[in-house]
Amino acid sequence: MSMAILYHGEPNGPSLSVLAALAESGLEIECRAISLRAGERHGLPEVSDSTALDFAVEGEGPVLVIDGEAMSEAVFIAQYLDEAAGGCGLQPADPYARWQMLMWCRQATERLSPAAAYIGLHASAAGEAALDTIRSDDLRARWQDWLDGRFDEAKLADSRAKVAQFCQRIEDQLADGREWLMGSFSIADLETFAWIRSMRTLEAGAFSGKEALNAWLARVESRPSVQAALARSTTGEPERAFAPGPEINRWG
Amino acid sequence: MADITLYHWEPNANSGKPMLALEEKGVAYDSHYINMLEFDQHQPEYLAVNPQGTIPAMTHSKLVLTESTAIMEYVDEAFDGPALMPADPRDRWRVRWWMKFMDQWLGPSFSMIGWCTFVGPSLAHKSEEEREAMLARIPLPERRVAWRKAMFAEFSEAELAESRRRIGKGVELLEEELGKRQFVASNAYSLADINIFNSTYMLPVGNADICSPDLTPNIWRWLREVYQRPAVQRTWAKGSGRFTDRFTAVMEDFAA
Repeated sequence: MSMAILYHGEPNGPSLSVLAALAESGLEIECRAISLRAGERHGLPEVSDSTALDFAVEGEGPVLVIDGEAMSEAVFIAQYLDEAAGGCGLQPADPYARWQMLMWCRQATERLSPAAAYIGLHASAAGEAALDTIRSDDLRARWQDWLDGRFDEAKLADSRAKVAQFCQRIEDQLADGREWLMGSFSIADLETFAWIRSMRTLEAGAFSGKEALNAWLARVESRPSVQAALARSTTGEPERAFAPGPEINRWG
Repeated sequence: MADITLYHWEPNANSGKPMLALEEKGVAYDSHYINMLEFDQHQPEYLAVNPQGTIPAMTHSKLVLTESTAIMEYVDEAFDGPALMPADPRDRWRVRWWMKFMDQWLGPSFSMIGWCTFVGPSLAHKSEEEREAMLARIPLPERRVAWRKAMFAEFSEAELAESRRRIGKGVELLEEELGKRQFVASNAYSLADINIFNSTYMLPVGNADICSPDLTPNIWRWLREVYQRPAVQRTWAKGSGRFTDRFTAVMEDFAA
């Protein structure tokens, strides 16, 4: 493979899912920890094509740089890792099962991740980035709101409701006794786990009494790939590390 | 004899994506036209197929698939015909990246302007009572909010300005991208081209101030090439009124 480097934040949210997917793939790619809350993602060396870094819908996620091209969006990086490894079992082979997995991931990235990121930012001390390095106007506006402590109560309430709904959705999905969300283990487990893990403390009520959900969380967490990803934390509290994520849907 | 049925509106934006993907693959399907402006998509007959009330949807034997981009990926994998995803993993990543960028960032901005200038006015002749009744049948709350804004012209100036900014920026990024390769995301025609063409084919008519042979030569070259594909021409010939008219107007320009 060409020269590849994975720049990642603390193993939480998209950085967690991609680090775990990398471990699942068995590929040898150099990992470099950066501080997302210090805006280091916007000053990476050796990036000649930064479009996908600057305009990622995901916001402050990990960046895989290959031959100078910055690759972003955790689900798609995970798919890339699976495919570059010749198929490491992170995606079902059957077209309909794959459609189901993509639909699940899309729900997670459109509904769960903006909500979890917003709740997480609200609970975090403001970051320290130099905003003039951020090329996307709307991402910069989300940073500015964070730095200024400007949070919308209606969006917070909606985010809490969305996290609770997603917890219920997982509980329902697992109701038939399946071990993993799509039947067999997949990117859907990693992406969902990575975003919801931090919510166990921030939105504890959404998890109470949900036995299938809590058992699934423990199963994903005990996978060696996830343990390896979590071990990359430099703070010891990755579930408290946040930076601006995807925007809340503009259409309400 | 097809065991595939596509429920779709015009060859435009989301409905056009699976129409064109099926056409490019050479897969025959039964077409079930849903008149979006009459809210067919919220009628019980269609809700029995897709309870979310969103279009398009596709059935393949007993399977039901929704969400246009995900349907396209299924179509490419499930049927024979020319591959619409590149083989190289990095190219595949880039196809997915551009489709998400369109579906979740640029596309909603095109839609907001489109709903404001076309969809909303198209419904203005209906009485307020009638429009309220149409809204009440929408299953997804977020779609209800969006439709209400379109029907009663409730988009704020700030929202519209932000959408116009994103369209300008998105066109700029697409122009840059098409300077790197022959097609969006790779050197082969792919789902990314199908996706993005469906939301940009009308730029020469609707946004001539930001898209022209002088301002965006790469987009122009790409549009000209995609317009001339037989599957694209067959797909837009299936449309009606405004959509096919716009397509034909640009096509005549390219042929001139």
